[in-house]
Amino acid sequence: MSTGPLAQVATVTKYEILKYLRGRRILGVLVLVALIVGLILGLPPALGVAYASTPNAFVASFATFAGLLAILSGVLFAADALVSEHEKRTGYFLFPNPVRRETLVLGKIAASLIVSAALISVYFGAAAISALAITGSLSWDVGLSYVYALAYVACVVGIAYLLSASLKSTVASTVLTFFLFTLIFTLVGALVAAAQINPWFVPTSASGIIGDVLGSPTIAPGPGGGFGGGFVPDPATSLLVFAAYAVVGAVLAIVLFRRRELSS
Amino acid sequence: MPASRPAATAPEAPIRLEGLGKEYGRFTALKSLDLTVPEGTCLGFLGPNGAGKSTTIKIMTNLIRPSRGRASLFGVDVRREPTRALARVGAVIETPEFYGYLSPLETLAYAGRLRGMTSTEIERRSEAVLKEVKLTEWADQRIQKFSKGMKQRLAIAQALLNEPDLLIMDEPTSGLDPRGMAEVREVIKSLKGAGRTIFMSSHLLGEVQEACDDVALLNHGKLLVHDSVKDLSRGSGTSTFQATFLRHPSDQELEALATVSIVEEIKDLGDGTVDLRISGGTEAQAAILQAMVSRGLTVTSFRPLGSPLEQLYLNHIQESDHP
Repeated sequence: MSTGPLAQVATVTKYEILKYLRGRRILGVLVLVALIVGLILGLPPALGVAYASTPNAFVASFATFAGLLAILSGVLFAADALVSEHEKRTGYFLFPNPVRRETLVLGKIAASLIVSAALISVYFGAAAISALAITGSLSWDVGLSYVYALAYVACVVGIAYLLSASLKSTVASTVLTFFLFTLIFTLVGALVAAAQINPWFVPTSASGIIGDVLGSPTIAPGPGGGFGGGFVPDPATSLLVFAAYAVVGAVLAIVLFRRRELSS
Repeated sequence: MPASRPAATAPEAPIRLEGLGKEYGRFTALKSLDLTVPEGTCLGFLGPNGAGKSTTIKIMTNLIRPSRGRASLFGVDVRREPTRALARVGAVIETPEFYGYLSPLETLAYAGRLRGMTSTEIERRSEAVLKEVKLTEWADQRIQKFSKGMKQRLAIAQALLNEPDLLIMDEPTSGLDPRGMAEVREVIKSLKGAGRTIFMSSHLLGEVQEACDDVALLNHGKLLVHDSVKDLSRGSGTSTFQATFLRHPSDQELEALATVSIVEEIKDLGDGTVDLRISGGTEAQAAILQAMVSRGLTVTSFRPLGSPLEQLYLNHIQESDHP
């Protein structure tokens, strides 16, 4: 009896997705998505304001919240994925199996990405259908905004895994991931900008591309309205920043998780 | 002249620990453990809390890294090639937690898939092992509702799933009620009968005496004894017995008993009951009984306090605690 690492990655991914499907987190995010979509579609008529007439302008309202959804996905579907195996002692079941730790991490990352991407897809799907129904057209920019949002999700997931592999409690990992993207990165971006340096390397600044591609400067969600929203790197740089954080985060997570001992 | 046959390669021992040591900061959990467990042996791994038993088992199952030395399973270094080393191993480490969102059947399917078992194999073996640990009734229930004992049964089930050649168990009866403990002992005995190698840590000496062939005793991270249960029980040196008399013996009678050469210690418990620590085996027991009768004492009961293994355990632990 033996199995290849790829088959093992697929197995881990399958059971991790099952975990998210049977938990209430997906339902929670779907409720939030429905709430945002409902507000964006319901508020203008209720306030007597006309909808935007172009698909880009219409979807820009949705794009404003796409960053927040990406962060929530990372927090809910990645931040506790590794640390919980130690904290909740499920590692005593999982680790003595003939499976490498990197295989486990890769399977878990794949599951986090699939679930997060699915939720972002539902959100952008709702935005695209609404835009088509209300403005009667769609643009390629909407698709690009969606792609940038997916790349941002990968970045958040990468960092969330790094924290999950480094910290000792699920609460610490979850809270730190959330505040890192809603507060700390934004603050770093603002401080760097104050020093006359463009914060191109700060992921929350790069996440502005999700809205910028639609022609409207994005305000990053978060306390203070997002200080880092002022500067947005060009699309290629933004994508590279997302990829760098995702890859470096994932690689470091694998290294740390391999070294981490289950001794509690 | 007939061509000489190539020497048959001796099968690698299921467990070989060489100079195994582990430090947690400045605390030494394991000093330098050398231990080989031959194929088909059931070894009881004994020692008080903090002796280094769980540390050894965790190194063997790749949960922690050794600070020095090497742990090999079937000749494969656990640290270097964990997947190959653990392929023929089933393990129960402490009382593991399982994913509450899965049922026992799904949990076994998860473990089976990671081990490369086919769906048919998983189905067949899951049914068998769940029946063996008496969890068939709960096969489809979510584990989040399970008690500690039920989780322990599931832990044993998943360890048996792939019919491992080597079973490593850390306190396998922990959390089980007396019936559950007896059932696990039966499982262990049947596995032993099937020629599997078993490495089992336990605090329950009676359990080890009943189920195991060999015993390794550890304290302060150091191996004190490694021998067969039979030899250890036979040569345990001293044993303690409790004798009850029809009337309470006088101080002079007790002093006279204390002068018998095999008597090491007498403890007067009152109400005609006395604890005697004597050296030697069954002949010494006969001698002390004879000495009592010859001194006019009427013995109403004479029973050993604890098993020979328990006494050996206590002697060694006391010795290593106060060298």
